[in-house]
Amino acid sequence: MPVIELNHISKYFGKFAAVKDLSLKVDEGEFFGFIGPNGAGKSTTMNMILNFIKCSGGSIQLLGQEMPAADVAVKKRIGYVPSDVRFYPQLRVHDLIRYTLDFHHQKEDKKELDRYCELFEVDLKKKFGDLSLGNKKKVAVVCAMIHRPELLILDEPTNGLDPLMHARLFRLMKEKQEQGVTVFLSSHNLKEVEDYCSKVAFIKAGRLMGVEDLTVINKNVKIITLKGEHLPLEQMKAIGAEIIKQGQHEARLTYEKELPVLFKTLSEIAPGLDDVTVDNRDLEEQFMSMYENQEAERI
Amino acid sequence: MTLFRLECKTHVKTLLIWIIVVGVLTLGLVSLFPSMKSMGLQQIDLKSMPKEMLKAFNLSDMAALATIKGYFGYEFQYVMIATGIFAAMLGTNALSREESEGTITYLYAQPISRALIVSSKMLANALIYSLYWVVSMAVAFLVCLIFKESGASVSDLFKGFSQLTFTGWVMGLTFLSIGFLLSSLLSSSKSATSLSLGLVFLTFILGVVGKLKDTFQALVYFSPVDTALPSAIFRNGIKWNYVWTDLIVLAVSVLLTFWIYRRKDLKA
Repeated sequence: MPVIELNHISKYFGKFAAVKDLSLKVDEGEFFGFIGPNGAGKSTTMNMILNFIKCSGGSIQLLGQEMPAADVAVKKRIGYVPSDVRFYPQLRVHDLIRYTLDFHHQKEDKKELDRYCELFEVDLKKKFGDLSLGNKKKVAVVCAMIHRPELLILDEPTNGLDPLMHARLFRLMKEKQEQGVTVFLSSHNLKEVEDYCSKVAFIKAGRLMGVEDLTVINKNVKIITLKGEHLPLEQMKAIGAEIIKQGQHEARLTYEKELPVLFKTLSEIAPGLDDVTVDNRDLEEQFMSMYENQEAERI
Repeated sequence: MTLFRLECKTHVKTLLIWIIVVGVLTLGLVSLFPSMKSMGLQQIDLKSMPKEMLKAFNLSDMAALATIKGYFGYEFQYVMIATGIFAAMLGTNALSREESEGTITYLYAQPISRALIVSSKMLANALIYSLYWVVSMAVAFLVCLIFKESGASVSDLFKGFSQLTFTGWVMGLTFLSIGFLLSSLLSSSKSATSLSLGLVFLTFILGVVGKLKDTFQALVYFSPVDTALPSAIFRNGIKWNYVWTDLIVLAVSVLLTFWIYRRKDLKA
């Protein structure tokens, strides 16, 4: 059963289409990445998923229930970490956590709270307004997890976190995923998406560019870099390689076919080149090839 | 209930400050009564002033200033304006402050409907206003008892204060509800204070104009302060047509606030 199901959703601000005809499914227990450049419509999509803003068109189902009709019932099962954490500054961290539990009609599990506080080094006695950006983020993570949600929606969760906390957060998220929690992560950090997500959706100019299964796709696609005075690009094209970037003395190509054919060709052309490298395509490469040199088209 | 508690906790300090300031102000003003009376305040000749003007500023009966009810009724009308501003500010800030401070994303992420957000905030702010008003009226009544002239009837004073407490409560709730309506339309609380001041002063001036000329008398209905003008309440009792007008405005504002807020998008 899909935990998140977006059917042709759109959001218009006047004539401006922030999100246009976007459809997406996130299955139960998935660690799903949602990436795109600034202004691509990631936050608008998340705001629509969470019913912070209404859709101009299309429909949303969360945890099998129609939104926004089931808003309250669904929110009991969702944990959300905003990118810009602005909670009540006058409250102490412990009070904020208590209020969060109260909203969910749950009692405090001291053992679990202590575990999170120890893991993220959260001081419960401090006032939220006195915390640094990173510490505010940690409190938001604890508030999102404390009521044991089935779906975690995280908008740039590592913004402001140091590398140690960053690693701890993802370890915890992975642990939650193994327990059956679905994680929907919006991030600019392609490395963390690549390392942890099983699927990733690319969004650009309000439209979904594609959804890729990271457990399969990047292992099959090779990135070949050729350096030299004369680049035998025709020979490479003949075996099915596609040029993604071409300079005077350097070219980058993608290749998705039989590897013996590739290495045979490379061994033939290598003597005339200064350098040849073959890598698995990483997410950054995929992201750049998808977005580079493309103009946003929004009407 | 959680949001109701959170909202009450947020306003406790503001409530205490307003109660203390209004209490001290009332004590200061009323404590001057015995000396003002002995100075012959009621004998000041204002006959050269147009009658309508005196009526508009509630000074038509100078002789009444020699009684605690008349004196307090005149002085306290300015506190009524401040009370209206307090109530309007509670309303205009209630929803818009969450948006300008960004705390609304926390609230929207919780399992709580928009209708419950509005109703919890309305009830909490109505309680805050009611506490402020009841305590302020109790303090004012006690202060008047201390400084009243020797012949003044306590039961008569109590009746007047009971009526003022009720009408002042209705007036405050009316400003509070209009404030909520404005708040549901605002995406930032930056203009909340100026809007509250504008709302109270504009409606008060409409009331003054309405009393200046009989042909403009209908304008008094647009002035919630006139529902609870202490001098008028002490002299004529409760004017139910004004009270009903306020209650209709209150009901319409509340319904519109719910309707607008349910459809409101979070500002990006």
